[in-house]
Amino acid sequence: MMWILILVLFFFSIYAISVVEHWSVYRRWDFLHPFSAFAFSFTQEDIKPRMHDKTFLQTAPILFIVAAVLSVGVLPFAKDFILVRIGTAALFINAALAYIMVSMVLAGWAPNGLYSMIGGWRFLGQLIAYSMPIVMAITSTVMRAESMNMTEIVESQYDLWNIIYQPLGFILFYLASLALAFLPPFDIPNSTGELSGGIFSEYTGKRLLVFRIGRLILIFSLALATANLFLGGWYGPYLPGFVWIFLKTGAVAISYFFAGRLMPRLRHDHTLEWSWKYGTPLALTNILWVGILLLL
Amino acid sequence: MITIRLIILIVLGLGAIWFGWRVFMTSSMVRSAFSLLANMAILGMMFLVMRAEFLAVLQIMMMATEMSIMAIFMMMYMMDPGGMGDMDMSHQKKTSIALALLAGVAVILIVGFSQWDAIAENVPTTAQQNYDLGMELMKRSMMIFETAGTSILVAMIAAAASALPFKNRKK
Repeated sequence: MMWILILVLFFFSIYAISVVEHWSVYRRWDFLHPFSAFAFSFTQEDIKPRMHDKTFLQTAPILFIVAAVLSVGVLPFAKDFILVRIGTAALFINAALAYIMVSMVLAGWAPNGLYSMIGGWRFLGQLIAYSMPIVMAITSTVMRAESMNMTEIVESQYDLWNIIYQPLGFILFYLASLALAFLPPFDIPNSTGELSGGIFSEYTGKRLLVFRIGRLILIFSLALATANLFLGGWYGPYLPGFVWIFLKTGAVAISYFFAGRLMPRLRHDHTLEWSWKYGTPLALTNILWVGILLLL
Repeated sequence: MITIRLIILIVLGLGAIWFGWRVFMTSSMVRSAFSLLANMAILGMMFLVMRAEFLAVLQIMMMATEMSIMAIFMMMYMMDPGGMGDMDMSHQKKTSIALALLAGVAVILIVGFSQWDAIAENVPTTAQQNYDLGMELMKRSMMIFETAGTSILVAMIAAAASALPFKNRKK
C-alpha cells in the first residue's frame, strides 16, 4: 500500500517537474502540456539520419533512462523504503550517474551529425569536470555517517542536517547537479541557439521521448539525492517521513529551475575552468572541513 | 545457489570476451572504446556476482569515465576515428594468433593445475568488506598505493607542464 502511494507520488513529481520546466522556458503555466508533449512525441515520425550508428542510436536513450532509474533505485523514499538495498549505495549513485555521461556521448556520436557530436563531447568535458565535486561532496557525507549505506547517511543527520554541517558540500553538489542534468546555466551542450539542440538535435519521436522522460527522472533522482544526503532525508516534524522526502525533493527540483535562471550562462571553457580551478579544490577543502569536525 | 552464480559468471565471462574481441574487430574508435567499456563493466558485474560489492561498483563507476576519456583521445589522435576509411587495427596476424593461442593455453593450464581453495559459502558484509579493504590500503599496501598515486600525479603535472606554451618557446 505504502509502495503504491510512493509510486503515485513519484509519477506526480515527474509530472510536476515537467510542468515547472515548461514554465521556466515559456513563462506560462500549462498543466496539460506534459500529456500533449507525450502524445506528440509518441506519434511523431521516426526520422533516422543518414549513415547513423545503428547500435548506438538504439542503445543511448535506453542506457540514459536505465541509468537515471538505477540512481533512483538505491535512494530511500522513507525509512525502510528503498527499492534496492545495497551497502555501497552512495558510491552506486556515482556509478549510475557516470553512465548518464556515457549515454550522452553515445547519443552525440550515433546520429553522424556535427551539432550532436559537438554537443556530446561538450557534455563529456562538462560531466568529467563536474563529477569531481559530486563524488567529493558525497564522500564527505559518507565520512560523517561512516557508512555508504543511504539509511545510515540519513540517520547521521538526525541532530544536524548536512546542509548546515557542511554547507560548502551542499553548494557544490547543487551546482554540479545542475551541470549533470544539463539545466540552465549549464545547458551549453544542448544549447538551442548555437547547436540547434546539441545532442538531441537529430533525435525525434520515441527516442527523444525516452530521453526527455529520462531527464525528468534524472532531475528527480538528483533532487532526491540532495534531500537524502544534505536535507535530512525523512526527518521533519509532524508529517510522516515519505511526505517530508517528497516535499524536500520537490522543493529542490523546483529550485533548480528558479536558481538556474538567476545564474549567468558561462562560456563552455570557463564552465570547465570554474569546476577544475575552484570546484574541485573547494570540494577537497570540504572533505578536510568534515574531517576536522569529525576529529574534534 | 552457487551453481546459479557460477552459470551467471560464465555467461558474463563469455560476454566480456566477446566485447574484448569487438574492441579490435571494429574500425570505429568510439565503438572500440565503448566495447572496452562494456567489457570492463561486465567484469564489474562479475565482481557483483562474487559479492564483492564495493569493488564491483567502483569498477563499474571508474571505467565509465575512463573509457569516455579514452574515446575522446582516440578521436583526437587516430587518423581514422570514425572508421569510414576502412582502417584495419589488426596487424601481424599470424604472429598474434599464435601468441594468443599460446597465452590462452597457458592460462587454461594455470587455471587447471592450480590448487584452488574451496568456494567461500559466506562472505563478510559489505560494511566489513569496506573496512577490511580500508585497513589493507592504509596499513600493509599503503606504501605501494602512495607510490603509485604520487607517480601518476607527477606524470600528470609533467604532461600538463610540457603542454604549456612557455615564453622562450614562442621566440
